[in-house]
Order: sequence, then structure tokens, then C-alpha cells
Amino acid sequence: MATLLALTVFLPLIGALALVLLPNLDKEASRSIALWTSLVTFAFCLLFLVSFEPDVTAPQFAAGPDGGPYGWSWLGRPDVRFALGLDGISIWLFVLTGLLSVVSVLVSWEVASERVALFYAFLLLLETGLLGLFAALDVVLFYVFFEFTLIPLFFNIGIWGGPDRRRASIYFFLYTLAGGLLTLLGVIAIVVVHMQYSPGHVLTFSIPELTRGLATIEWDEWYRVDSWTSPQILIFLLLFAGFAIKVPLFPFHTWLPLAHVEAPTAGSILLAGVLLKLGAYGLIRFNLAMTPLAAQALYPFLAALCVVGIIYGALTALAQTDMKRLVAYSSVSHMGFVVLGLAAMSATGINGAVIQMVNHGLTTGALFACVGVLYHRYHTRDMNVLGGSWVKFPVLAFFFIYSALGSAALPGLNGFIGEFPILAATFAVSPWTCAGAVVGMILGAFYLMVLLWRAVFGPLREPAGDGHEHAEVAPFGWFEGAALGSLAVVILCIGILPEVFFSRIRPAAAELTRVVERQEQAAFKVAARAAAAPAGASVTMLSRDAR
Amino acid sequence: MTPEQAYQTVQQTLYVLAPEILLVAVAIVMMTASPFVKVARKHWCALAAAALAAAVMVLSATRHVDPDVYAASAINDAFSFYVRLFVLLSGFIMLGLAHREPPEGRAAEFFGSFLMLEAGTMLTASSNDLILLFVGLELVSIPTYLWLYLSRRSAATREATTKYFFLSIFASALTLYGMTFLYGAAGTTNLKALGALTASSIPYFPNMSLGILAVVFVMGGLCFRIAAVPLHFYAPDVYQASPLPVTAMLSWVPKVVGSAAMIRVLTAVLASRQMGDPLVHKVVILCWIIAVATMTLGNMVGLLQTDLKRLLAYSSIAHAGYIMVGITAAFAGGEKGIAFYHGVEAVLFYLVAYAFMTLGAFGLIQALQTRDGRPATSIYDLSGAGWSNRIPAFGLTICLLSLLGFPPMAGFLGKFQIFSAAFAAVEGPEAFSLQLLAVIGMLNAAVGAFYYLRIIVLMYLGEPAEPLTAVGGWPVALATATCAVMSILVTIASEPISRACHEAAVASNARPAAAIELPPPGTATAAVAPPAIRVARD
Repeated sequence: MATLLALTVFLPLIGALALVLLPNLDKEASRSIALWTSLVTFAFCLLFLVSFEPDVTAPQFAAGPDGGPYGWSWLGRPDVRFALGLDGISIWLFVLTGLLSVVSVLVSWEVASERVALFYAFLLLLETGLLGLFAALDVVLFYVFFEFTLIPLFFNIGIWGGPDRRRASIYFFLYTLAGGLLTLLGVIAIVVVHMQYSPGHVLTFSIPELTRGLATIEWDEWYRVDSWTSPQILIFLLLFAGFAIKVPLFPFHTWLPLAHVEAPTAGSILLAGVLLKLGAYGLIRFNLAMTPLAAQALYPFLAALCVVGIIYGALTALAQTDMKRLVAYSSVSHMGFVVLGLAAMSATGINGAVIQMVNHGLTTGALFACVGVLYHRYHTRDMNVLGGSWVKFPVLAFFFIYSALGSAALPGLNGFIGEFPILAATFAVSPWTCAGAVVGMILGAFYLMVLLWRAVFGPLREPAGDGHEHAEVAPFGWFEGAALGSLAVVILCIGILPEVFFSRIRPAAAELTRVVERQEQAAFKVAARAAAAPAGASVTMLSRDAR
Repeated sequence: MTPEQAYQTVQQTLYVLAPEILLVAVAIVMMTASPFVKVARKHWCALAAAALAAAVMVLSATRHVDPDVYAASAINDAFSFYVRLFVLLSGFIMLGLAHREPPEGRAAEFFGSFLMLEAGTMLTASSNDLILLFVGLELVSIPTYLWLYLSRRSAATREATTKYFFLSIFASALTLYGMTFLYGAAGTTNLKALGALTASSIPYFPNMSLGILAVVFVMGGLCFRIAAVPLHFYAPDVYQASPLPVTAMLSWVPKVVGSAAMIRVLTAVLASRQMGDPLVHKVVILCWIIAVATMTLGNMVGLLQTDLKRLLAYSSIAHAGYIMVGITAAFAGGEKGIAFYHGVEAVLFYLVAYAFMTLGAFGLIQALQTRDGRPATSIYDLSGAGWSNRIPAFGLTICLLSLLGFPPMAGFLGKFQIFSAAFAAVEGPEAFSLQLLAVIGMLNAAVGAFYYLRIIVLMYLGEPAEPLTAVGGWPVALATATCAVMSILVTIASEPISRACHEAAVASNARPAAAIELPPPGTATAAVAPPAIRVARD
């Protein structure tokens, strides 16, 4: 299975190479290559989902050929390994990536017109990066995939994007790269701390080993988080820099609306659906699992950023007339919920946050796809000139309403399943934060209804005078129906059968909370020792002064 | 030392230096013969390439010659073997880039001086003696003056050569001056013996004030070679005025020479001392300042450049800064710090990555010419090249991403190693300054990303400019393709290179058991006559 996992990760890469290297591919051939590649990859993803054992906490499908440490030797010295594996958290994001890649190939079925082969090649390249990231069990491998995803998306926005694409792509690339480099330092710092202070001075890059090891290192300083310069807090902040930009949390979100508005629909779907999850996933894997004490100490700070982001994102979304920009700002709001759930550091919160990550990928992906369908036909996303699409596209209107309701957390659809545990967990930690977040939920329903009201309901309004004959706009195609339909099915599944999903997330979330507890216990011990010591300590200080 | 031992040492040293001797001999033959025989340029180039190939073979054949390190002036440890091997291999790439550069009449001198500067680089890497090391440095400098002026005799190259000449002389003088202090303090020019003395418990050695003078001057001179602050300012002007193959050479050979010399003379000699030692502490502060100033200056000024060569010149300065981070880590870590990446190891790996990315970038820019035969000079000349010249532009993109330090390119792994080395060099509260250095380095890398990215953006997203044609023939194509492919391959299959760098780093710091035994400090004052110092061999 380990080999198959590696193959699944690189299958889209093979497809991408075929698209680039095969000569004279026309539109028809290149899009069918892309579709089949992504479908086969998705089939493999489902295979992993089916053979995933719910009650195992260790990463699955990970055993290397030598039976020893995970994966295959890569850099040799030091022992950075090409190690892949999936646990209850990453399996869902892995499958989500597979699904959304198929969706994004489908929605750009007719849209991509120039350099089609290259367009799909970049989409598949992005898929490889994302699949590899979620499966990576080695910090360096994780980081390589983390940064690698920038390249295909950079070109996707830059070449096929809207009018302001150059600025958007540069801004996106540099902003996320700058954060990513600081994250790299945080990753190095974690490895070095583990090497210098763990019993036996083990140099390891394996994520599970580091997570376990950092809870048992023999360095009192590590468990003290009472000042801004304590090592754990500093490392937390280094790691946080890249992930917070990627999520994006409130003050670091400025690249997102620009990138979303300029990106082609397929790029937007993968960007919102999966790429933003990289940040939250990194927060889980690194910030929560490896520096949990700092995460707890900084809870007020994190929660404040999240709540401000939730409300600010919702209010800004309310003020938009561009549909895509509205959905983009709604992402800021929704991802705030995800991080809020994570920051609560309880099993409930992590469960909710993981499922909410999947939810957000599905509903936002669907909303972007709906907006993309309209944009492809009318070349505008302005709700002042475009609206009442029910009249012309009843099927699209159904999906539009359906995914908006899912996004607005209507019970029975998926959003509710994610947001409820998040709010419950937050209430347990800090009721006031929860109250703030609930305001964001109300606003969320508000802007989504505004979106529906203006874009779907009412009399048909079509932009005038852009040179298109509106009587003959392309009808809603089978490919768009297939894309939106598959998303809608999963949205409903999560809504009515959440236990299927939770049962696989729960063991991994429980494992995470156990790690947190272990670090807490170590911190208590250190604090107890410090409390017992002061008399002796002051004596030595006095005697040193006297000398 | 008996005469037999002396004879043996000389013999073995000559074996060790056989590749250099071969290269210089071929160069002398070429230069002497050129007025009398009429040989086409490409044949001179082929002869030079054959000499390089022969040198590789000689180098491999003499792999196991191992002269006594405390007597011989050249040693054959892993450091000298791998650095020399890589310098020779990179020589093929540079020859490929430069094969059409000199005019027919001056080709023999041009390729001859190239062989000499290759020999000088190798000599520096294998030297175990201050004097031989200095000879190696000069054997690089003097042919470089020729290279700068031989290929094109214009006012611009004359100015560049003059600038480089005077500063280079100045830098050599600084280095030599620093070396005199080292010699004065220790009374020996043998580098391993210097290292052994430093490791010994002789009191007051290395003398604090003499030691810091030596380090400051040697470092000052070598900063010129690697284009680090404060002797960096020649780089943009000289790069801009020189033809591209010469610029490519200038961005790579002096860097490897300077770094190898720093490792041989400074970090290896001080390797036995840790951060706690007052001298090492001061040296670390010095290197810290150089590293931060170099990185920051290179990246900040690089942001403003639109001329390709000036941009790459500032990029080269910035990369000198990253190398200095590795050197700082090497000083701070001393012999320890081998568990993760050692500073020397990281520097060597970075140099390998840097060779491919910088030679590739220069080579591809050289290959892309406008219709009237003018190479692309401004970054705007490359606008739209991503669609009109797909393959060269793709290669250039790989090299630029590697310079930017983007995974999975070679430059990423280089930066990863450098900053890991800085992070892991020391433990405890003293680690903070080095960690801060790594943070500053990363922020710099983020700033520097902009100017590399700008070229990529122009190539793929810019309005098509005047169409470019790819020129240069198969040697340039092969050389640049090697660079681009290796820029990716170095990361994917890095194990052999990593291992070589590790062995080299360990070897550079290693000293064969040499215990200079002194009585413990308490009895030393009581003893009337100091006991004879015994240097144990093996």
C-alpha cells in the first residue's frame, strides 16, 4: 500500500508530464487526459478511504519496504525520508483533494481556450503537490510539498487569470513564500530542539516521532511559556507565520481576495477548497501537536484573530458586489471558524475543525463553480448587472442555493456538522469568544442570502452591450452538472451521516489531545520543581553575589 | 625527519598535485605554442577539455596517496579530493559556455589561462600550507585578469579589468598580511600543525590580539574573492562590463576559491575551539556582521536592478552572504555540530547547488540573443521569452527558482543546510545570535525572491518583446541543460553529494592524533625548564 500511496501522489504528475511532452495535443485530447488522470487518482483516493481502518491512530499505509522507519531513505544523511502515510485527519483532506481536482477539471471543460494542455498540466501538478503534502510524514517532505504548490497556482493565476493577474500572482507568491520561509525556520528549530534535548539526542525528521519526542524532552525551558521569548512561543510564532498566511487569518488575509478574483475558476476551487487547508493542516500537525503549550498560552491572541477575522470577513463579504469577491471574503470568515475550533485544543474542537475544513472545501468549491458558470457565460460577476439566473439556469440555481445553504450551516447539510462542535468547544473555553463567533454565523447567513437574492432570484438581469448575444448563451453543460452534483452528494452525506466521517477523525484527534496532555503534565512537573526550588535557588544567588 | 621521509613526502606531494601540474603544463604548452602553430579555436577548446578530462583521471588515480599531513604542503583528504573533482567537472560547463568567446587569434591564451585558474582553484583546495595556499589564490587571480581582457578589448572591459586588478591586488595583500600574523603566532606555515597547536593546551595560543588581527585580514582579503561586504563593490561593475561567459566564471570560481581558503585557513584551524573561546567568539561576531551586511545589501540593492548582469551580480553578493552564514556556523560549531549539518558541509553543498544555478542562469542568458546578435542585457529583453523560446526559458526558470531557494530545486536544499547548520551549531543561550542570523537570512531570502520572480513573471506573463533566438550550438545547450537538470536532480538524489560534502567537512576539521603534551597548569609554573614539546604522529 505504501508504494501505491506514493504512486497515487505522483500519478497526476505523470499526467501533467504527458500533457506537456506529448506533441500537438488539441483541446479534446488534453482535457480527456486530464479528466482520466484525475478520475483514476480519485479512484485510488477512494480505495485508500475504503481500506482505512478507523480505530488505528498511527499513520496508515506508511510501512516502508524495510519495515523500519516510515518510507524510503531520501537525503541519506541526515535521515530525511520520503515517508508517506495517512491518518484520520489527513485521509479526508487527501480524498477532498482528489474530488476537487476532478471538479476543477470538469468546470474548466469549456472555459480553458488557449494553452489548454498547459492549463491542465498545472492543475495536475497542483494536485500532486497537495496530495503529497497531506500524505507527508516527514517535515522536510512536508515543507517541499508545501512550497511546491505555489508554482502551479502562480502560473495558473498569472497566465489564465483576470485583467489584474500579474499583480495578483506576484502578490500571492511573495506573500506566501515569505511566510513559508519563516515556517521552514520553525521546522528546523523543532528538529534541532528535539536533537539537542531529547534523551539520546535523536536526530529525526519524522512527524510522528517529533510529535511524541517533543513531549518528553529534558529541557525545562521548553515547558515554560510565560514570556514572549520562551523557546516554545518563539517556535510557535515562526511556524505560525507561514500557516497563518496560508489559512489566512485576519491581518494576513490581504492576498486572498486579490488572488481569488483574478484566478480562473478551477484555480479558485483548488485555492479555496484545498490550498487554504494547508495552513490549517499545518497548524494541526505542527503548532498544536508540537508546540501545544504555546498554543494554549496564546489562545486569547489566536481567538481574537479568529473572531475578528470571522466578523470582518463576513462584513466585508456583505459589502461586495462582485460575487467571487464575496465568496472569497466568506472564506476568510469560515477559515476563522476552523482555526477557532483548533485553538480550543479539545477533541470536540479538533473534530469539528477537521470536518469544517472538508465542508469549506466542498461548499466554497461549489459556490466558486456556480459563480464560474455565470462568469463564463456573461464575463461579469457584478451583481448589479447580473442576476435572476433562476429564469435561465434552473439547475444551476438549485446548486447555487443548495451550496449556499450548506455554507450557511443549515442543519441537515454539512456546514452545521462542522460549526456546531467548533462553537461547543469554544464555549467550553471562552463563552465570550463563542458569542463573537455566533455573530459571524448570523452575518454569514445574511451575506449568503444577499448573494442568492441578487444572483438567483428576481427577474433576469443580463449585462448589456458587451458584444455577446445573450439569447444564445451556452446552456448548463453536463460537465458542470457532474461537477456540482458530485459536490452536492458529499455535502448531503456529511449532513446526514456525520458519524461516518467523525468515526475516522476521532482517534486521530484523541491522539492529538493525548500529546497535548503529555506536554501539560511535563509542564506541571517543571512548575512543581521550580516551586520547590526557590529557597535553595536564592541562597546560591546570594552566595554568588557575596563572592 | 630523516632524508628518506623527506624524499617520500616530496614524492607524495607531487603525486597529490599531479592534476594541477598537468593542467598548468598543458596551459604553458598551449600558450607557448600558439604564436607558432595555427590551430582553430575549437581545437584549442577541445584540448583544454581533454586536459580537464585527463586531470580528472589523474585525480582519481592518485586518490589514495596520503602524505604525512604535518610535513607535506599539500594533502589529499576527502575535502581536497571532492572539491577538486567538482571544480574540474564544473570546468567542463564553463568551457562549454565560453567555447566561442575568444577571438580566433587569442584562443590559446584564453583557454590556457582558464586551465591555470582551474589549477589554482584546485591548488587552494588541496593546500596544507599558507604559502601554497597563497600561490593557489594568485594562480586564480592572475589568469582572471587575462580572462577579463583577452576576449574583448573594449573600453568597458579595460575599465572592468583595471578595477578588478587593483582590488584583487589589494585583497591579496590583505590576505598575505593576515597570514604573516598566523605564521608569527605559531612559527609554522603548515595548516594542520596550526590546527593541532590551537587544539593543544599551550597557554596563550592562539594569542588573542594576534589571532584576531590574522583572522580580520585573511577574512578581509577572502571577502573580495567571494564578493562579500566590505569588498563587494567591484562585482556589479565588473560583471556588467564583462562578456557573459567571463561573468559566469567570475560568479563561481572566486566563490569556491574564497570559501575553500576560508575553510582551510580559518575554520579548520580554529575548529577545536568552541563559542566559549574569546577568539572564536570575536570571530563569530565578525562573520555574523559580514553575513548580515552582505545578504541584506545584496538583496536590497538587487531589488532595484533592471540590468540582468547587475541583477545577477547583486544576487551573487547575496549568495556570498548565505555562504558567510555557513562559515559563521562553522566557526561557532567547531568540531562539534556534526550530528546535523556542519557549517563547512552546508557551505560545500551550497557551493555545488550554486554552481549549477548560477552557471545555468548565465549560460541561458548568454544563449538568448536578439536578432542582431546582441545578448539580452535588460530584464525587459526577456519579456515574453517563455512562449517564444520555450526550452531555454524553462531552463532559466529552473535556475532562477533554484537561486530563489524554492523546493524542490537545489538552492532550497542548500539554504536548508546552511540555516540548519546555523541553528544547530551551538546549544544554550549562545545559540540565540546564530538563530537570529538564520531568521535574518530567511527574511532576506524572502526579499530576494522578488527580483528572481520578476524575471520569471516577465518571461511568462510579460508582453512579447523583440523575439530572441537561442544561439551557442550544442556545447552551450549541453552545459546549460546539465545545469538545469542538475538543479533539480541534486535535491531528488542528493545522497551522494551530501555524503561527499559530509566526508569533506569531517576531513577538513580532522587532525591525525597530535597530542602536544604539557604538564598540567599547576606544575608548569613550577618546572624550571619547559619540557620538550613532542608532536606525536599517527
